[in-house]
Amino acid sequence: MEYAIETKSLVKKYPTSAKNKGRGRGRRGHEGGIRSLTGIIDAIKGIRGPFIDALDGVDLSIRRGEIFGILGPNGAGKTTLIKVLCTLVLHDEGEAYVNGFDVGKEPSKVLENLQAVLPGSRGFNWRLTGRQNLEFYALLYGLDDDVAKKRIGNLLELTGLEEMADDGYQRYSTGMQRKLLLCRGLLRDTPILLFDEPTTGLDPHAAADFRSLLRDRLVKEEGKTILASTHNLYEAQEICDRIAILDRGKITACDTPDNIRYIMFDENTFNVTFWETVYTEEHTRMLDELQEVSGIYGATPQVGQDGSFEGIAFRVDKNIDLSATLEIILKRGLRIRTVNTEEPTLEEAFIAITGKLPAQPRRRRR
Amino acid sequence: MKIPIALKQIFAFTKRDFYNWASYKTAMITQIINIVIGVFSWGIRASYVQRPVSEMYGCDYLSFLIVGITIGNLIMPLVQGVQRQLNPWTLETILMTNLSIPVFVIGSVMWRYIFSVLTFIPYITLGVYVFGARLNINIISTLLAFLISAAILMGLAMVSTGLRIVTKSTDPVTWTINVLQNLLSGIAFPVVYLDVLFFPGVSTFSWLLPQTWVYHLCRLSMLTNPSILDPDILVQFLKGSVFAIVLFPIGYKTFQWGVRRAKREGTLGHY
Repeated sequence: MEYAIETKSLVKKYPTSAKNKGRGRGRRGHEGGIRSLTGIIDAIKGIRGPFIDALDGVDLSIRRGEIFGILGPNGAGKTTLIKVLCTLVLHDEGEAYVNGFDVGKEPSKVLENLQAVLPGSRGFNWRLTGRQNLEFYALLYGLDDDVAKKRIGNLLELTGLEEMADDGYQRYSTGMQRKLLLCRGLLRDTPILLFDEPTTGLDPHAAADFRSLLRDRLVKEEGKTILASTHNLYEAQEICDRIAILDRGKITACDTPDNIRYIMFDENTFNVTFWETVYTEEHTRMLDELQEVSGIYGATPQVGQDGSFEGIAFRVDKNIDLSATLEIILKRGLRIRTVNTEEPTLEEAFIAITGKLPAQPRRRRR
Repeated sequence: MKIPIALKQIFAFTKRDFYNWASYKTAMITQIINIVIGVFSWGIRASYVQRPVSEMYGCDYLSFLIVGITIGNLIMPLVQGVQRQLNPWTLETILMTNLSIPVFVIGSVMWRYIFSVLTFIPYITLGVYVFGARLNINIISTLLAFLISAAILMGLAMVSTGLRIVTKSTDPVTWTINVLQNLLSGIAFPVVYLDVLFFPGVSTFSWLLPQTWVYHLCRLSMLTNPSILDPDILVQFLKGSVFAIVLFPIGYKTFQWGVRRAKREGTLGHY
């Protein structure tokens, strides 16, 4: 099967300035500007200093018509990956293909097949109107006037910018600027779209509309493939078919959001609450019996100050069959009021995988 | 005595800006050199004012100077136009459109050049009717001179831009050329005067500078009514064309090299 996007052992190392060699700079210590004469001479001579790994053997296979999310902490390599795919950064080792075209060897073909929407690369002229800006880019993309005019009209309508289309770009709010960026991204009708932090800067309504546009219109109706890097875990869970977690240049997990949520955890917690009853010795014996059930790691009684038995908090294996547990409870004549399962969130999984915060209290997969 | 807070605040701004200025070491050094060269260059110009320009163009100094200034205004946009287009927001976006480099370069400077051509006419008109400059224009030679000049300067612009994409700072090649231009290319005095001022043979260096040929061909065309069929004139134009033929592809390759290197270093958007 030919994938929309495929990378094999993709490696990208960024050189640091030769001047800083051996200073033990941080992994993300690269500076863009070369401000000294030595730096200029080094740049011209091609001297490259010690390297930092932005991408370290990334393997990805993204199917056509899929929304694929790249999650990762700051500096994980998400933007680098996107820029490699859209030919703005040259990779050092490995392979990357867009619709079967080699990113390194066939950049023109790659650019015909994808469009990247990068928030840092606005490129709009502030004195032109939104429509004029789009017309300019339509010409750069080589669209015929009639096709461009029609497409621009459709896109402005689609994104709700129609009313402001003839206002100067300088008058646009952040959300409107984002929408215009999307319009530009869709001008050419490419089969693959790359987004870097697609909803950053949008208010909750606009972000929801944007997600709906991606999912329902661009993917379901038009069959496009979308690769989006995001910090927004809710967004990833809501719209992505699959996600990959990128950490320090490596893919540490790649699966559906639901599977990723469980990938790091062996256990769930669930709470059972009871209708009014008093805690007795019999209940202590019941708890001992519950602890013996295979798959239950812990059962903690919730007893009120007045001695009422309010419920039990369980830590259980994620694959447990709860029938036996509930049977033991019902056998004691307790009347169950609620049963709530607390499943791991994508955020908990993300934190556990990237190790940015301890993934307590859940038990990590061994 | 207690220093008022407002004064301290002004000092804080000044100190911050000094540190900022001093941190750009190359820019700082080049600025200082520019000042020295500028003073030197104006000194030469001032010492020339009262002399005739008959050595090269057979005209008075005023006509020589006015043509030089108008040409300067005409060509500078070609050098600066592309660089002004460079910033992280436009360069990445433009490159993603798959646009060819020549189209990007020519497109980036076209309006500024058209505007310069439009302002060129009032400049010349004012020079002639208000200041009494005497022109002796050959239209065909002038158009050819403009064409060769445009190719030379766009080649230089691409060299400069390619280097700036990599260095993100002052590019040493263009800076050197510009400094030498101010001193040696004869914007405000005929280059042969350098031989008189310093020692014979100094003006030879001037003829190695592309800008010297830009000014020379334009002045030749606008002040001496030269026929392109005249073998001596043809040789001058051919010499100028060599610069254009060499510089344009060098500029193209340098621009390509700069973009490729910035892509490899991941600094395309750091401009």
